[in-house]
Amino acid sequence: MKKTPEMEKLDNFLRSSRIVAGGFMGEDIRDVDEVIVADTRSVERLGYSLEQVAARMHEITHIAKEGLGVCVDVGAGLKGCVDEAKGRIVCPWPHPASFDKRLTTVTDVESGKEITWSDLHIHLIEEHGFFEGIGSAMRIEPVKLITIIF
Amino acid sequence: MPISEQMWLMLVTCFSAVFTSNILLTYFLGMCPFTSVSREVKTSVGLGLAVIFVMTATTMINWVAYHYVLEYFGLEYFRFILFIIIIAAFVQFVEMVIDRYSPRLYQGLGIFLPLITVNCAILGASLFMVIRDYSFIVTVGYGFGSSVGWTLAILAMAGIRQRLTESRIPAGLQGPGITLIIAGLMALAFIGFTGVL
Amino acid sequence: MVTVFISVLVISSIGGVLALLLVLSEKFIANYGICTVDINAEKQIEVQGGQSLLSCLVEEDIFIPSACGGRGTCGYCKLKVIEGGGLLLPTETPFLSDQEQKDDIRLSCQVKVRNDIFIEIEKELLSVRQYECICSGIEDLTHDIKLFKFGLAGSEEIDFIAGQYVQLLTPVYFKGGEEVYRAYSVASDPLNKGAIELIIRLVPNGICTTYCFEHLSIGDTILMNGPYGEFHLSDTESPMVFIAGGSGMAPIRCILSHMLNTGSKRKAVYYFGANKVSELFMIDEIKQFENDLDDFRFVPVVALPDPAEHWTGLTGLVTEAVESDLENAADYEAYLCGSPGMIEASGKVLAKLGVPEGKIYFDSFA
Repeated sequence: MKKTPEMEKLDNFLRSSRIVAGGFMGEDIRDVDEVIVADTRSVERLGYSLEQVAARMHEITHIAKEGLGVCVDVGAGLKGCVDEAKGRIVCPWPHPASFDKRLTTVTDVESGKEITWSDLHIHLIEEHGFFEGIGSAMRIEPVKLITIIF
Repeated sequence: MPISEQMWLMLVTCFSAVFTSNILLTYFLGMCPFTSVSREVKTSVGLGLAVIFVMTATTMINWVAYHYVLEYFGLEYFRFILFIIIIAAFVQFVEMVIDRYSPRLYQGLGIFLPLITVNCAILGASLFMVIRDYSFIVTVGYGFGSSVGWTLAILAMAGIRQRLTESRIPAGLQGPGITLIIAGLMALAFIGFTGVL
Repeated sequence: MVTVFISVLVISSIGGVLALLLVLSEKFIANYGICTVDINAEKQIEVQGGQSLLSCLVEEDIFIPSACGGRGTCGYCKLKVIEGGGLLLPTETPFLSDQEQKDDIRLSCQVKVRNDIFIEIEKELLSVRQYECICSGIEDLTHDIKLFKFGLAGSEEIDFIAGQYVQLLTPVYFKGGEEVYRAYSVASDPLNKGAIELIIRLVPNGICTTYCFEHLSIGDTILMNGPYGEFHLSDTESPMVFIAGGSGMAPIRCILSHMLNTGSKRKAVYYFGANKVSELFMIDEIKQFENDLDDFRFVPVVALPDPAEHWTGLTGLVTEAVESDLENAADYEAYLCGSPGMIEASGKVLAKLGVPEGKIYFDSFA
């Protein structure tokens, strides 16, 4: 696949530690667009769209936020805890967007499965279809995410 | 030689320096900035303009220095050293003047001027002018023509390389590798001009 | 023999003449004389023209943040040049938004002082300095919060108002990184000018916090600059309510020390929220202020205490505790420090208790 200079720049930026220590790509040697295409496909294979996934994540974070760090019941047998840090984190894509440093951890009470995302993740999934590269500390596995939140 | 004949010769020299004996593509001089600054058309324009200015001016100064100083003392074999220090001093001087009086021009050329001091095409042009025994007027045409030819070549290369960024190049050939191959192909194309003059 | 002599003489004299020419032209052409830099129309400094604005200001001990050392790659050294900065350079444009370009914001490392120049620097930045600090102690407070103690190198002293923050310059500690600044509130006594204490919570994958937690060790030197911030006590005598959780304790601890130093008699209450008993820290130290200060109450609140932890204090969210504990707060001033969610929720509760909006102060560096 052809790679434009913009993509190349973004790829390098995502692999650098300019925004988060360790970068967004982990050990993944695929190009960013390959990662995006693969993850979008696994979301679609389960019958969901990126918008639906992001909307559900928004919804859960919104409810869990009220707990001020204490785990609260977010419905559908899930528990959500929000952890906030100071400062804002910017989107690595070349457009002005920044988010509170807020981590939402959702636990399925029955199975004990757990997944964590940040406000930036919701934006990355919604706008860019990006779940981070495999091996990145904060990668969200689309299949795991969907089985927990839906 | 009468002036009119010299003028004609100057035009011919100028034309041949641009096309048939392009200093970059037939003599392969000034390859270093050619490979490293040809990534974008915009920067190559800046570098090209700086080369045109410096090469034209230094060939003239060097002609005077060679014929009136070195020949007078019989020290022709010192031309390498002399030309180099004259070029270096001239570039320094020009940089200072531009910085002071024309900040806008300095923005465009400023960062390229120091690079040019070590551009071997500049020294090469001065040396060719001596070897080929050009008169002053012809030297002007030669210096100008060579630098325009150099600029033309780097612009063409920058144009090609900008398109190249979107194509897949084998890993081992990326960067300078593919650039040199392209330079070779361009040189072949320029050899096609040889029959013209 | 003669040829050798002549050739050496000729070449060196040509070189000499050229060098002289350059020296002369440097003196006459590249000499910009003494230029005046006018700061905020209040302070004028005289500098030798021809150097960058950043180095002029640094020479005058005015601190402008810069991580790249004037190479024009970090984009931190922005300031407003009203007049005399010349044209915007192509090296600056990548770092300036359209709005900033309209507002005459420039990168001071790229602006050359060629004539008298008029600039604007935010007032609080004028008292900012850079300090070399040596890490003198690291204490675990909870599983993800640590207290970092720094001593200023040499006999340097830092003057700050209780509640202000400093920035740490995180060095590059991994491949492909770049130096970054991160802000932390000062937690130590303002009278202790030779040292700084910071309470830092580990942010997952945070660049600076990861550095502090995993790479910084006692004896290491780190660069810090400050102080910054408008979060400090008002001049009134109104009673105060402090609400802070986690590392938000830092400025409150500093303010309490300040109150002790100045013999303040203001009524104050501090609600310190945590989720578990194990997340509380420095309880005894803050409790001690109850004895030392005239009218201070410390109320730690735990949201979900583990039965095994035998918690006897208040339980519930910190906002619930404030609501039930403070009945009427109309004459109170509120000082909040913590996560954005906590600040937002506390703001709502305080408004309900009658605290006017203008009296709610919060630490909001981003």
